[in-house]
Amino acid sequence: MDLRHRNNVSVMGHGPSTLVFSHGFGCNQAMWNYLAPHFLERFRVVLYDLVGAGLSDLSAFDKAKYSSLDGYARDLNEIIDAYAQGPVILVGHSVSAMIGTLADRFTPGRIAAHVMIGPSPRYIDTADYVGGFKRDDIEDLLDTLDSNYLGWSSAMAPVIMGAPTQPALSNELTESFCRTEPDIAKQFARVTFLSDNRHDVQGLATPVLILQSSDDLIAPVAVGEYLHAVMPNSTYCLVDNVGHCPHMSAPQACAAAMDSFLAPWAVADA
Amino acid sequence: MPDSLFDSAACALAVTQEDGTILHVNPRLSDWLGFSAAELRGRRFQDLLTMGGRIFYQTHLAPMLRMHGSVTEVKLDIRHCAGHKVTVLLNANQRQQPDGVVCDLALFGTTDRDKYERELLNARKLAEALLQEKTAAELALQQAQAELSEAYAIAQRRALFAEQMVAIVSHDLKNPLTAIRMASDFLQRGERTAKERQLLGHIGQSSERAQRMIADLLDFTQARVGQGITIKAVPLDLHNVIQHAVDELRVAFPAATLVHHAEGLGQACLDADRVQQIIGNLVANSVAYGDLLQPITITSRLGDNACAVAVHNHGPAIPETLLAGLFEPMTRGTDQGSDVRSVGLGLYIVRELARVHGGDVAVSSCVVAGTTFTVMF
Repeated sequence: MDLRHRNNVSVMGHGPSTLVFSHGFGCNQAMWNYLAPHFLERFRVVLYDLVGAGLSDLSAFDKAKYSSLDGYARDLNEIIDAYAQGPVILVGHSVSAMIGTLADRFTPGRIAAHVMIGPSPRYIDTADYVGGFKRDDIEDLLDTLDSNYLGWSSAMAPVIMGAPTQPALSNELTESFCRTEPDIAKQFARVTFLSDNRHDVQGLATPVLILQSSDDLIAPVAVGEYLHAVMPNSTYCLVDNVGHCPHMSAPQACAAAMDSFLAPWAVADA
Repeated sequence: MPDSLFDSAACALAVTQEDGTILHVNPRLSDWLGFSAAELRGRRFQDLLTMGGRIFYQTHLAPMLRMHGSVTEVKLDIRHCAGHKVTVLLNANQRQQPDGVVCDLALFGTTDRDKYERELLNARKLAEALLQEKTAAELALQQAQAELSEAYAIAQRRALFAEQMVAIVSHDLKNPLTAIRMASDFLQRGERTAKERQLLGHIGQSSERAQRMIADLLDFTQARVGQGITIKAVPLDLHNVIQHAVDELRVAFPAATLVHHAEGLGQACLDADRVQQIIGNLVANSVAYGDLLQPITITSRLGDNACAVAVHNHGPAIPETLLAGLFEPMTRGTDQGSDVRSVGLGLYIVRELARVHGGDVAVSSCVVAGTTFTVMF
């Protein structure tokens, strides 16, 4: 299995520790363009596309394997083993924060720390938990996805399906930003929004930085506070930002919070 | 005048801050959504959407606007103040202003097209579901076929093994049987009491029967797993050969009345031993299943281009259901004859012998006329 091809892995930067950036639902690794360059002088930086997103190998999309977040977590561990050097800090946006949590649970000790941007362990409300959504909302999202893939699915598909034979070209990635094969997008939407990882985050002892947007529909403040309460080694940082992507709309604030959290891993071991 | 163009545009227009907060709307947007301009100003555009649209906005639209500064042809549902959905196509474009970034939105009503697109979408879903059903059915069929051919292969291997086993066992039984016959023949030559002669007679007859069975089995295995039965055909006097065979069979079956009819004149080119074997098998059958109070008739018939032998007996007819498979191995008329005859190979061997001579065998059976087996060469 050629991981570089499967996950469109990009490796850059230099440093004693490795930051692995994992994008969230809807987009691809290009979303890190505003945040990742900040760390290139002090860290080895690994970016990748989840299988089914960006310029990943769409033929590697195995419906059964990716029917839960476990499949993505196994991929992440493979990428860490193949490309990381030194201590590994996972920077996961949205659903990737939970993929990172699962990867941590699968191989305890392999991931030294997590930076979770807009994380949520469960999106749908229960009697004693507020995730922010109802089951019908998710069906409504799937409907919107259907509407918006109809227009371009046939025309765009060849461009997006074309497997990259060379390492990612950044303009290709930004061109295809937020676009993917409709069936894959829908399955990923289901897996993302219907998953329940409260049991996995409960008691997670790895150091975690929670970057919580002050106004985020997808991951409301109450969810960030819930996570801070159940993860004993977590640091909670509220970023003044509207929307679900503070690393795109408020990258300086995110970088500042990360710099202080990452200080222990930014210097070479004595 | 730009303001009048904005107000009277044929589409709904809005200007928002970077975070979506509405700064201006044109009357058409107010009209479509049922909110006044004052009610819309200050609200975030994304908050007007249905919940699915809001999630889509956060996960797709906002990142794309940040990345590219614009989006086109995004279909969204907006909630009217009365509660129903208004389907629109959205184009959005970011613009740098001295005091920050603003976003120009243009919305086009697309309710009818949306209905049409949904119909298309449903048709495609239906087609996909049907295709999936068909694929599943084909897969199941393939699997069933694979299982069947595997079962067939296993059955064939078992049959071959069994036939080889029969060949080996039959061959190995020949020698001990020959020894038994020789010993009983030798004992018969001396002075014996009546009881001893009777017992020796049983031994002789039983081992003869066993030898016939083994001969049948060997012919069977030769035909099935070996090179096939071989013959040495030479010109012969068929009537004479049959007469000779009938004489021998009278000794073997003293309880039966055997009558020989010779018809026609001419030459035949056959294997005499095999012809005797054919007659022997057919007569043995007649003895086993026929009415012994009436004669068994053996006919040898010579013609210009063909010759035939036939064996006829009176008695019950062969059941219709058995006729079709009568010449297959392991077929028996009824259980009644099982102590008389062998393992059910007699007629199979008759047919094989007829065929190896270039001929075939036929049977006719009814309760009035009796049963006739005819071998045509």
